[in-house]
Amino acid sequence: MSIEVSGGRRGLTDPVLAAEIMAAIPDQPLETQRKMNYFMTPRGKRINEYEVLCCYTQPTPDWIPGGLDWGDWTQKFHGGRPSWSNESTEMRSSDWLKHRDPAFRWHALYVKDKAEEWRYTDRFLKAYSADGHVRSMDPVWRDEVLGDYLGAFGFSEYGLFNSHSSVVRDCLGDTLRMSSAMIGLDKVDNAQMIQIERTFLAKLVPGFPESTDIPKNEWTKGVIFKGSREVVQQIWQETYDWNEILFSGHMIYDPLFGQFVRREFFSRLSSYYGDTLTPFFINQMQLYFSQTKGITTDMFHTCLAADEQFGDYNIRLMRAWADKWLPRTITSLKDFMGIFSKIPEIKGVSDKPAIEAALGRVFDDWKHDFADPIGYKVDTAALIKTVLTGLK
Amino acid sequence: MAISAATKAATDALAVNRAPVSVGAQEVHRWMQSFTWDFEKNRTKYSTKYKMANDTKEQFKLIAKEYARMESVKDERQFGSLQDVLTRVDAANRVHPKWNESMKVISNFLEVGEYNAIAATGMLWDSATAPEQKNGYLGQVMDEIRHTNQCGYINYYFAKQGQDAAGHNDARRTRAIGPLWKGMKRVFSDGFISGDAVECSINLQLVGEACFTNPLIVAVTEWASANGDEMTPTVFLSIETDELRHMANGYQTVVSIANDEAASKYLNTDLNNAFWTQQKYFTPVLGMMFEYGSHFKVEPWVKTWNRWVYEDWGGIWIGRLGKYGVQSPASLRDAKKDAYWAHHDLFMIAYALWPTGFFRVTLPTAEEAEWYEANYPGWYDMYGKVYDEWRARGCEDPDSGFLPLQWFIENNHPIYIDRVSQVPFCPSYCKGASTLRVLEYNGKKHSFSDQWGERMWLSEPERYECQNIWEQYEGRELSEVITEGHGLRSDGKTLISQPHTNKDGKMWTLDDIKKINCVFSDPLKAL
Repeated sequence: MSIEVSGGRRGLTDPVLAAEIMAAIPDQPLETQRKMNYFMTPRGKRINEYEVLCCYTQPTPDWIPGGLDWGDWTQKFHGGRPSWSNESTEMRSSDWLKHRDPAFRWHALYVKDKAEEWRYTDRFLKAYSADGHVRSMDPVWRDEVLGDYLGAFGFSEYGLFNSHSSVVRDCLGDTLRMSSAMIGLDKVDNAQMIQIERTFLAKLVPGFPESTDIPKNEWTKGVIFKGSREVVQQIWQETYDWNEILFSGHMIYDPLFGQFVRREFFSRLSSYYGDTLTPFFINQMQLYFSQTKGITTDMFHTCLAADEQFGDYNIRLMRAWADKWLPRTITSLKDFMGIFSKIPEIKGVSDKPAIEAALGRVFDDWKHDFADPIGYKVDTAALIKTVLTGLK
Repeated sequence: MAISAATKAATDALAVNRAPVSVGAQEVHRWMQSFTWDFEKNRTKYSTKYKMANDTKEQFKLIAKEYARMESVKDERQFGSLQDVLTRVDAANRVHPKWNESMKVISNFLEVGEYNAIAATGMLWDSATAPEQKNGYLGQVMDEIRHTNQCGYINYYFAKQGQDAAGHNDARRTRAIGPLWKGMKRVFSDGFISGDAVECSINLQLVGEACFTNPLIVAVTEWASANGDEMTPTVFLSIETDELRHMANGYQTVVSIANDEAASKYLNTDLNNAFWTQQKYFTPVLGMMFEYGSHFKVEPWVKTWNRWVYEDWGGIWIGRLGKYGVQSPASLRDAKKDAYWAHHDLFMIAYALWPTGFFRVTLPTAEEAEWYEANYPGWYDMYGKVYDEWRARGCEDPDSGFLPLQWFIENNHPIYIDRVSQVPFCPSYCKGASTLRVLEYNGKKHSFSDQWGERMWLSEPERYECQNIWEQYEGRELSEVITEGHGLRSDGKTLISQPHTNKDGKMWTLDDIKKINCVFSDPLKAL
């Protein structure tokens, strides 16, 4: 027969082609090692599917620790700057490919989760609207807090989203590159969920402004988000070290400012103002926060702080970065305290003792989860006191 | 509206209408362009000589959750096929052995491109100013992660279930040994991520994706299917559904700079360089993988190339961009000549260097030789008779002590590496257009095979000074290089690569290579 086949004939199903193929196939498999990436060190007992599909996709040479390739870059930036280089971060590692997402999410698992969240969001919104829940929402909370300030917080999430672009470009590890992109997508998802909520309210409440104009004005010109806006801008555009971007955003700013705003302000207070809608979205954001925390603490604590060769140096650098970013984050929180003067006070909920307790929860969590593992000494009571001076 | 009035309106509205309401993705996306804000230091970290417009729109208007839904549906279909029906029919063991070997290379090398495209589109996400344009690039970042995982899945699947796992199971480690790797890095790695951000976009989206992924991802599925491989079409066609978004991103990149003065000065030069960079590798390598890496042939590579590259891309796609001042690359005519012979020239060299591969490679059979001669008249006199000679000298038999590389040395046909593309060439024995040019720079000699690469070098030599495999392996004995590069099977002695796929043929071991005592030398040192 001719070896040129046409008309879409398939070797698997065409009997003539299949017979010729089967005759050429070895009687026994030629290789017994069937595990892909068998040469790597798994995080757990065995190499899992995530590690098979993600690890060592980074084609860096061995002079970037962890790389399996050799030699130079085949094309460099104008002027000769290398494609990837150890100099892109002040952190040091003996293996930049060591990081693992604790949830072992490769792309298919990641989008499957988010797709389910989207379908459930759609079903929830339909049920919420059909049930007429919105009638119970406090109008000041709805129109001012959700309309203006939740909308303004969306810009914080959007700015943090953008801070991941250069991390995705510059970082030196494959698993971290993928994790960072997912964190970034979660952040823009947060910003979009805030707009979903505002658009949804506009459909239910005639006159509720769906436009982003007022929230943007609050974000760019208002005093409540002044400090956070400046920090976000600094993380996004003034920080070039990709590790510092991740550290400042996810080890300092978001666990403090983001956690207080999402969990202790919008989520905790909403039910007191008859709002059962906002917690639905905030809970998704909190899930993303939790997943991100797993990723960044794996990178900074499990990998970099525990690095046998560079751990001590890395810990000192993390403390220096904490010294740099913590005061700015405290200022962000202090500015945010101004929001409490905009809502009707509820005793034991939005008064000063309740706010102090909420801040205590956030700072205690941060100290336990982020500061203590790198031996960062912090007086949380003093920090809370400083933040509370922002109350009007 | 005053609060009290709004509240009353809400209550009134709900009294008469409590229909279930939700929010669609497009209702959110329409606000996206307003998600950003101006501030003093808002600028990209990756400089470009072009200015991307602030109001650029994207064509695929997705939000994060809708993106996930769409991709998840595609994944369900794809992994359902792979894990269910294809496994049950033992499909991985019903692929022609030659094609099984080709997929070690094709899937892994495409993975390299997809992986680097994550970083490339991260850079574009940073460089764009319009939120919609950023969003388009973000979607592509996520797609490229998907594709990286998908390409890995092909090797994973073949390793787990197929007839020869070696090479599939460790391609990410062993790929760096051979002569095809550095060229791959130039086109699919560094070419996407190192340079002016828009130049990288042109390399990735306007040329890599709009031009060469069509043969690489679409045409390859016909070849795969003909040779019994239904895994590759299942995965690659799913990848291709995302590529449309990437082509749209490339189109929008050009639209975003169309009104910038820099575009009229530089765009066509950047496009020409990008096209030549990509074609210099893909034209010969894809042709070689298709024609020499298959048993059943679909059509001559030159026809595929002409349809996808010359007509569809060079004519229709670039034609659509004509209104923005984009012209077909000046190098397209020279590339068309390469499409006829370059892959035959490259196969000779790749076969001669077979021990440095991570796949088995096969000389054309008699019926294949007939097919080549019928489609490329003059093929036998140039290549076929040499293959007959190699076969007669026992190139497939480990007891022969003959490596085809010796034939090049005996006949004084040195193999050089083009410094800019990192593609090997033999100027004294080729039918393609390669000609030797040698320049000195920084105390070293550098060889080039064509005028377009030489021009790139002369403009910016510091970008392309990369060491090549001859310089790396200079003075080293071949079996040492193979051992160091992990080119052995799990028995610790048999080579992953072999010069045949004959099921009854004897496999070469490291001892067979040692006996030959082949020592690498850099031909440039002899000049």
